[in-house]
Amino acid sequence: MDSMPSLNMPIDEEEDIEMPLPEGIVHSPLSFEDAQISIVNLSKSYRTDDSETVAIQDFTLDIKKGELISIIGPSGCGKTTVLRMIAGLMPPTSGKILIDGRECTGPGPDRGMVFQDFALFPWRSVIQNVEFSLEVAGVPKEERRQRAERYLDAVGLLEFKDHRIHELSGGMKQRVGIARALVNKPDVVLMDEPFGALDAQTRNIMQVELLKVLAKTDQTIIFVTHSVDEAVFLSDRIVILTKRPAKIKEALEIQWPHPRDRASADFTYLRKRILKQLEKENVLD
Amino acid sequence: MTALFKYDENNKIQRWIRSILIVIASLTIFVAIWWFLSLTLNFNTVPTPGETFDALISFIQNGDPETGRSAWDYLESSLSTFVKGFLLAAIVAVPFGLLLGFVKPLRELASPMIEVLRPIAPIAWAPIFIYTPALSYAWGPALVVFMGIFFPVLTNTMFGVTRIDSGWIDASKTLGANSTQIFTKVVFPASVPYILNGIKVGLGVGWMCIVAAELYAPPLGGIGFFLTTCATNGQWPSVYAGLIIIAILGLLTTGLAEQISKRVSKRMGME
Repeated sequence: MDSMPSLNMPIDEEEDIEMPLPEGIVHSPLSFEDAQISIVNLSKSYRTDDSETVAIQDFTLDIKKGELISIIGPSGCGKTTVLRMIAGLMPPTSGKILIDGRECTGPGPDRGMVFQDFALFPWRSVIQNVEFSLEVAGVPKEERRQRAERYLDAVGLLEFKDHRIHELSGGMKQRVGIARALVNKPDVVLMDEPFGALDAQTRNIMQVELLKVLAKTDQTIIFVTHSVDEAVFLSDRIVILTKRPAKIKEALEIQWPHPRDRASADFTYLRKRILKQLEKENVLD
Repeated sequence: MTALFKYDENNKIQRWIRSILIVIASLTIFVAIWWFLSLTLNFNTVPTPGETFDALISFIQNGDPETGRSAWDYLESSLSTFVKGFLLAAIVAVPFGLLLGFVKPLRELASPMIEVLRPIAPIAWAPIFIYTPALSYAWGPALVVFMGIFFPVLTNTMFGVTRIDSGWIDASKTLGANSTQIFTKVVFPASVPYILNGIKVGLGVGWMCIVAAELYAPPLGGIGFFLTTCATNGQWPSVYAGLIIIAILGLLTTGLAEQISKRVSKRMGME
């Protein structure tokens, strides 16, 4: 299990190229026919008075309906920026995002989001947080209570439905966050380092729970993380980004069934291979 | 003396006894200084605490012998001016503060106006309001109180809105809320603790305004009027009794506002 390569290890470029893919892992195309989401030539730059920072450049990626795709990259590379643009919370500088062929221009309930810092409403109870999207959509009181209870049950928090947010632990808070994002059945759920604020043990439990909840749905999940372990454990596909300006370095399809064994040789090997690639992005300037 | 500083922080009763002892000690020292000053200065404008206490009891029991009005008559007049000014300020300042906080261009436009008006002592408006025929005694003093309460509530509310966690706004947008819903379901509740804090500060300022405003409005006959007539007649212990009544009422209102503000913030999980 403990085979993490040291980050200070000198990098051998040759070895990196030669590291073959294990069985069940294949290179994945970035564009294909039956995409649900098409991100086309997306760019984002920030302009200050005398300089321009390019965060994302010509980012192109197709996403299939129902897949769990992880976006992983060196910290500060703009993973979250990509996610926020898909959510419609931030306009791209150029390029576009198509969902089922429609260009997305602003936020909408078809794209739910789970936030790293939970972003729950502390003045609302647990169930009132989950009901929020149904409430603003005008769903009748009784129906939205039932639907919220169903999702709270799915994340194992039904008995806490009347609690206040500040009474919950970090892991419980994010369960509420997940239930809140799923309850109105969005086509896509965007997860921005959802377990980043949790301790390692809670994190592993949450990953298992997430897969259980998602097994009952056909929602597309775009998952941003900086944990390679998490990405390999959860994803149908992993997209590895370069450092700023972020471009796609490699996209891998993981065909392994769930549950995956974090301690298996293949798992450890794949994790090591991805870490090496990221390491190169971090070290080489 | 050291008993005041040594105590078990986790013992609720000890904490309670300690805070009461501190208040008693503080007020005792205050009365002692007052007594000392009144005896050494020997000015008739500085009566002793004893004389003041007698005057206070007599005022509460018998009212004002000069006018035949009871203490409650004076109080009622002051309180009604205060409540008018306060309600008016809250009704105007809270919606304006929310709006200015939420809409940046409006805030930018309004900020210079607010900054120009805010430093003016509310009492400076008293002659203008009271000698405006349409306002006169009915609204003039209440509007002075309004000016005192309006700005703290307005600026605190605005500040609260601008300080709202942007994550809450983002979350509500991805959950399908439109601008109106963001305003009513996120911006407003998230600002409540700041609004209450503004009201708490405003109440304190309001009390400072009331007596001064009443000096310009003898027909209203509030506590401020009582102070001036007693002073003109040289009844200094009664003047001090009036001051004590004002102090106690001020403490009660701000204390109440503080408790409400604390409880609501706690209930909302936003301490």
